[in-house]
Amino acid sequence: MAARWSSENVVVEFRDAQATAMSVDCLGSHAVLSGRRFLYLVDLEAPSEPPRKIGRHSKWDVGTVQWNPHGSEAHIFAASSNQRVDLYSWRDGCGEAHSSLQGHTRVISDLDWSWFDPELLVTSSVDTYIYIWDTRDARKPTVALSAVAGASQVKWNRKNQNLLASSHDGDVRIWDKRKPNTAVEYVAAHLSKIHGLDWHPDGEFVFATSSQDNSVRFWDFRQPRKYLNILSCQVPVWKARYTPFSNGLVTVMVPQLRRENSLLLWSTLDLNSPVHAFVGHDDVVLEFQWRPQKAGSKDFQLVTWSRDQTLRIWRVDPQLQKLCVSDGVEDLMEGMSLTVDTEKSPSSQGPEGQLSGAGDGLLDQGGSQSSGTRQDLAPGSGLTQTLQQEFSLVNQQIRNVNMEMDAMNRSCVVSAHFGSHQVHLVVKFPDQYPNNAAPTFQFVSPTTISSTMKTKIQKILRDTSLQKVKRNLNCLEPCVRQLVSCLESDMTQEDSPASGPFVLPNPVTPSLQAFPRVTNTYGSYQDANIPFPRTSGARFCGTGCLVYFTRPISMHRSAPAIEPTPRSLSALSAYHSGVLTPMKMRSESQSTLRLYSGSPTRSDKDTVSISSFYYKERKLPVSASRRWSVQTLYDWPKSRRFKTKREGADYSNRPIKLAGKVIVQDISCLLPVHKTLGENYILNMSDIQETCQKNAAAALAVERRDVAKVWALASAATSQDLSPDSDPDTETPWARHPFGRRLLETLLDHYSHMSDVQTLAMLCSVFKAQAPPPDCSTLYGQLPRLPSHHPRYSSFTSSSVTSGSCSSTSDSINASTWTAVRDPDHISPWGEPSPDDYRYGGQAYTDPRERERDQHDMNKRLLDPANMPQFDDFKKCYGEILYRWGLRDKRADVLKFASCPPEPHKGIEFGVYCCHCRSQARGTQCAVCKHLTFQCAVCHVAVRGSSNFCLSCGHGGHTNHMMDWFRRQDECPAGCGCHCLLQSTF
Amino acid sequence: MVSVINTVDTSHEDMIHDAQMDYYGTRLATCSSDRTVKIFDVRNGGQILVADLRGHEGPVWQVAWAHPMFGNILASCSYDRKVIVWKEENGAWDKMYEYTGHESSVNSVCWGPYEFGLILACGSSDGAISLLTLTGDQQWDVKKISNAHTIGCNAVSWAPAVVPGSLIDQPSGQKPNYVKRFVSGGCDNLVKLWKEEDGQWKEDQKLEAHSDWVRDVGWAPSIGLPTSTIASCSQDGRVFIWTCDDPAGNTWTAKLLHKFNDVVWHVSWSITGNILAVSGGDNKVTLWKESMEGQWACISDVSKGQGAVSTITDTQQNEQ
Repeated sequence: MAARWSSENVVVEFRDAQATAMSVDCLGSHAVLSGRRFLYLVDLEAPSEPPRKIGRHSKWDVGTVQWNPHGSEAHIFAASSNQRVDLYSWRDGCGEAHSSLQGHTRVISDLDWSWFDPELLVTSSVDTYIYIWDTRDARKPTVALSAVAGASQVKWNRKNQNLLASSHDGDVRIWDKRKPNTAVEYVAAHLSKIHGLDWHPDGEFVFATSSQDNSVRFWDFRQPRKYLNILSCQVPVWKARYTPFSNGLVTVMVPQLRRENSLLLWSTLDLNSPVHAFVGHDDVVLEFQWRPQKAGSKDFQLVTWSRDQTLRIWRVDPQLQKLCVSDGVEDLMEGMSLTVDTEKSPSSQGPEGQLSGAGDGLLDQGGSQSSGTRQDLAPGSGLTQTLQQEFSLVNQQIRNVNMEMDAMNRSCVVSAHFGSHQVHLVVKFPDQYPNNAAPTFQFVSPTTISSTMKTKIQKILRDTSLQKVKRNLNCLEPCVRQLVSCLESDMTQEDSPASGPFVLPNPVTPSLQAFPRVTNTYGSYQDANIPFPRTSGARFCGTGCLVYFTRPISMHRSAPAIEPTPRSLSALSAYHSGVLTPMKMRSESQSTLRLYSGSPTRSDKDTVSISSFYYKERKLPVSASRRWSVQTLYDWPKSRRFKTKREGADYSNRPIKLAGKVIVQDISCLLPVHKTLGENYILNMSDIQETCQKNAAAALAVERRDVAKVWALASAATSQDLSPDSDPDTETPWARHPFGRRLLETLLDHYSHMSDVQTLAMLCSVFKAQAPPPDCSTLYGQLPRLPSHHPRYSSFTSSSVTSGSCSSTSDSINASTWTAVRDPDHISPWGEPSPDDYRYGGQAYTDPRERERDQHDMNKRLLDPANMPQFDDFKKCYGEILYRWGLRDKRADVLKFASCPPEPHKGIEFGVYCCHCRSQARGTQCAVCKHLTFQCAVCHVAVRGSSNFCLSCGHGGHTNHMMDWFRRQDECPAGCGCHCLLQSTF
Repeated sequence: MVSVINTVDTSHEDMIHDAQMDYYGTRLATCSSDRTVKIFDVRNGGQILVADLRGHEGPVWQVAWAHPMFGNILASCSYDRKVIVWKEENGAWDKMYEYTGHESSVNSVCWGPYEFGLILACGSSDGAISLLTLTGDQQWDVKKISNAHTIGCNAVSWAPAVVPGSLIDQPSGQKPNYVKRFVSGGCDNLVKLWKEEDGQWKEDQKLEAHSDWVRDVGWAPSIGLPTSTIASCSQDGRVFIWTCDDPAGNTWTAKLLHKFNDVVWHVSWSITGNILAVSGGDNKVTLWKESMEGQWACISDVSKGQGAVSTITDTQQNEQ
């Protein structure tokens, strides 16, 4: 579709016009081109006819020319020339200057006819004044607005007859002509000079600004602090104007750079990529205007004037107009391999938008095209022209790549050398290219890469080219770049030994492969969602280290300090042209002018990084910086070489440090835990008193007097004469004393608040050691109370199995055994019972004395058994810290006291089935048949607790009975004849 | 005394975005806008470049060391939408796994407590959080929480495996059944708590207090106390300390630590969970400590007898 109108554009050359400005009248019948010697009146209905001329005598070029937009005054146009505005009238094929407006003292930068009053004209000048003239009284302006700063643009509001906007450097001021003293609103729109200003055709408050800072921003001046939207271009934007149809915007780049000759059409609904490029001009576009729509026509026409001295008329048909509304967005999404989520359509468009962004950048850098190679163009020859033009624009400087282009045969041979590999690729361009017709790619000998690689590259190139030609964009250079990046990444993989077994197949790769380099540079639309990078940070590491880094001292925030750091990465996009140091830009606006003479290299743009946000104190030597950025961009192996060279004392030429130092600070003195204490603390089970005293001394040595006192208290509380009596009736245990458990609890609480896990864990360990569980003899004396389901451990006593996995010392075995045994009704026989078990579990005891003794056991302990899990956590956490300190023995010492639960049993589990009715039973009696479930083969009493039985015949009984029996016999006591000892191991 | 024990010149070619030491404090990993990750041996005040990891195609935002019981493993995340897990094998650092399942910049990575095995949480600007788990057969299992934060997720941080609340109620004798939990912060100004239930990740809590993007969250390490603590910081300059004493983990109360004049980018807890390091756009690092009364005070420029940290940035500036 686009192909149709592209070839139908009208091209007329005015070889000698040397016009600097152009304007289309409101009837759409004439365009005026202002040259130095003549003004040319072009009849747009018959543009190829020789134009009429109006002579002028001035040594100054015409700055701006504009027809009066009112039908009644359609024959009038105004042209500014230095400090003067001349008013011309054009009637019946001849024109004359009938008056001039003089008042400005410096050159006039812009003029604009009022949309409401045919007599009113506003002019802006470098002399800081904005004058509103009534053409009926040409002697002096009727209103003078004083702006202090010189204005570059001035535009009447299209909806409100009193409002106008002017741009001053990076700012926009909104004026009410009734209040000339001061501007109504200030908008700090850009960080560098605003070249273009355009009011929205329908919105009273909305306007768009285009700036040197490579962006177009959309504003509502009622919210002057935040732009409505931003269009990030790769190049400074000269003009951005709304289209007469909805949601469109046309941009051209700054003419002085002479790099990009196309006009881009954007949809304001989707600023990720242009919807169309008006390709054709051989030199930069100086002016573009919309021709008023003819009655009955749905087409719009764009009239453009370029330095190539051609006037072109582009037809914008409804289909193209529709691209600016949402359908166009969907259209562009076709063929995207990423999942499309309608809610988040921007994200799924990401790669495409970025690609095109990169592509534009590539096109840009083709350099200025000399107008000498310009050809006489006729409508219809656009296609060959496009390919030729592309060839001439392609950057030949891509590293390791050589291109031989043959526009006549519409083909190109790309040869690339990478390490030992070389690639030769023939690209053939079909006739329709680039209008939705992709070129073909074919490898020719002596290509040395593998066939899988070939297939991969083929696919990538095909995808890339399709992406481009779908939008009628040229694709050769993007494709070559893709080829290079693909080959480079392949080489990198070969270089690095990493590509071993650890590179796992990546499920997402296929869809992304087509865009391997999309994320290299900032500037993606998604940056608005990405947080602004941290340039400083501090992190606690290890046990007592604080690692931190800050912005190097040489990097200053260029924004005023009161302005907070931006929140999203998109803030960087304003600084895309790396030449500009953004923060300084405002104050040094002259430096931006420098840009006009020299054209920044592409690499400067591409290396925009977070550091661009900050102003660097020292200026880099240009050569160094250039080399630097190129290196980092394309050539990391080389940059490595470069780095080593740089390290070799070449300090004079050294670029400014962008990375600060990383500092490791020892902050262990701020922590409540001490490594020295960790080393010196002891845990001697056999002599608690000594342990406490030694630990107190250790604490004193590191000036922890409080802890020393605590150890003294601990020593007192654990002294032998306070040790509890085994008989519950003799006396209240010390633990029940206010200085007993309660004191300890207060201490623990205190150190909890201090987060002193070291003291906490040590106290818990010592007091746990102080109140060892009943010793072995007592323990086994209680065996009859063992739960009956213990036979699940075939031939071991349940107690030893339970504790076995816990830890290595006898103490802890006892500890966990003890708890296991205490806990008759729980399914899992380990771990610390919850308080509830102690409270209510006692109901199971048949003998009240047992219960009392049990209670007494609890009462004797200084550490509240209810909080055991927490105490264990202290130890576990302290153990972890000891481990980090490398004190593994100490860690083991502490963890001995943790009643940590072993891993849950993962293996064969034995269930008890009633030997009479075969139903699963719990307890000693079968719930179904009321028989005893498991009788001892020796004493015929029901078995609870420790038991053994034969895996082969299933008979067995109390462990001690079995032991006794098999000490003398080797056959089953049940008389079944089974040789149990041989069949299974007791 | 608080003392500088090492000053590492990373030779990064662009600004540094994260620096982290391993479990033992012997190695330092840094990442930068120059797209590289570097690992230095910093034992005894030295600085030996151990590895220069290249693989990212964009600025690298964050690194994270895994627990050493899994070997020497480092994860990094980048603007290029990738998460790369690096592993040292026989002294050489290699790519172990590359995850490309995010559609926008990955801003944060955090390894879970070792009790859960190798599990990595990744927060991305596409709004999703990915959980990558190394399974027994050396495959990476990916679970993704889509739209965890609208607009984008900026930070993730795991809860310690010891969940104090569950300790009290835990059925006696059972091996503590740790619940996997983590906290995340995002561009929706929210702090969200996530919990794994039956293998599915569910939003557990939503904490509202910030008025702008949440830039970092940090779940304080546990020393066995029944309180959970989370720190969050935001573009709005505020740092909040969230605490929960409720065993069920449902009631969180916020306390404003401080309102800074610029964005706060990072919060970090000391190993005992009682000191918080705060850093942000003002290029300063401050340390905050909770008093016995539960008040937070800045200690970094208070002479505290032995430990005068003074303003850390000054120290650094003097050195440069």
